[in-house]
Amino acid sequence: MRIDPKSHVPVFRQIVEGLQSAIAAGIYRSGEVLPSVRVLAIDLQVNPNTVQRAYEELERQEVIEARRGVGKFVARNGPRSALGQAEVAVREAFERGVDLACDADLSKTRIRELFNDVLSQQTEASRAQR
Amino acid sequence: MIDVSRPEPAVWLRGLTKKYGPATVVDGLDLEIPRGSTFGLIGPNGAGKSTTLKMMMGMLSIDAGSATVLGVDVSADPTAVKRRVGYVPEIHSIYRWMRVGEVIGFVRSFYPKWNAGLCADLLDLFELDPKKKVKQLSKGMLAKLALLVAVSPEPELLVLDEPMSGLDPIVREEFLDGVLRSMCDSERTVLFSSHTIDDIQRLADTVGLLYQGRLLVHSPVDDLLTRTKRIRAVLHDGVLPRWLPETTIWQRVQRREWLLTVGDFSEDLLPRLRGENSVHDVEVQDLSLEDVFKDYVKGRKGAA
Repeated sequence: MRIDPKSHVPVFRQIVEGLQSAIAAGIYRSGEVLPSVRVLAIDLQVNPNTVQRAYEELERQEVIEARRGVGKFVARNGPRSALGQAEVAVREAFERGVDLACDADLSKTRIRELFNDVLSQQTEASRAQR
Repeated sequence: MIDVSRPEPAVWLRGLTKKYGPATVVDGLDLEIPRGSTFGLIGPNGAGKSTTLKMMMGMLSIDAGSATVLGVDVSADPTAVKRRVGYVPEIHSIYRWMRVGEVIGFVRSFYPKWNAGLCADLLDLFELDPKKKVKQLSKGMLAKLALLVAVSPEPELLVLDEPMSGLDPIVREEFLDGVLRSMCDSERTVLFSSHTIDDIQRLADTVGLLYQGRLLVHSPVDDLLTRTKRIRAVLHDGVLPRWLPETTIWQRVQRREWLLTVGDFSEDLLPRLRGENSVHDVEVQDLSLEDVFKDYVKGRKGAA
């Protein structure tokens, strides 16, 4: 996980999304402990208050749970919730893309063609990596 | 007057003003920094950042207005402020003839409290040799020593003046590490000045943009990023914009392209913008923090 200070996405959001995808990808599994606020803040080089707020947001989303005095853990359904949250972000990105396409007066067929193009390019690229 | 039911802010500036001859460097600055927050003061060189911090620390006289730091009026009792605030100046004037270990012992003798664990941790992290003479230290090492002696007494408020300017990337990272460690260990208010976005994004929860001695922006960093948007619209032939949103920060018309940056964007704004102006293809763009600040400054220049 890396923080991009030049991004238009607030650092707080970047941490939330970074942890969501780390949990969805199985880097942290259900019931496992997450890095403490202090460790993550120093690791990512960001304000500990921001990390704390990101953890609170993930708690609210039921991706993680805090056990008082012990630490933060991935919730039982954490990975599934994280995947759901990741899908929300993907959906929003698609919406932006479709908005852009509509502004440019592209037809539905053309939008689908472009989408399939991008998708097959991506899968080829990831296959080549493996 | 401050509401008595609220805890007193760590820093409270009212109409703070500094003049050098005919030039007003700090111009009636009002600022409140609540305890426990991290406030980043950003602005171009000469905006008055350093001058503001020096007045707050009782190192420069105040021409008008007042500064209350941790409940103490700076003009009335500058010594009390210095004793309770950890201050890392832009130019480190540490006792050059002393050895690192002697500096630490000397500074320690002035404070009732001293976190020996943190001091040892930082000495180790910074790879500072206690036997080395201060005058032999590089700029980066000197900055790290200045930070170490500023945070070890566990001050309620830490003030950093351009702490990372001119440091190479590796030293910068170590310095940042030191600041973050001291922030993690206790609830501390931090006020720092900087002219780089990176520092603000990493450290600040609230940011103030200082320009020509005045605050152009004072906002939580997240809000600034999520609520400031650039709108691009295409004007119909031969027309100019007729209606501007109230929170417009900056705008520009070039050929048929109309760009405007608004400070408090919501989707409801768009139908009105389309309705009141003869435009098509209205598009909303996200902005980086750098662009947000630039637009505020350009907007101010345009208004002047």
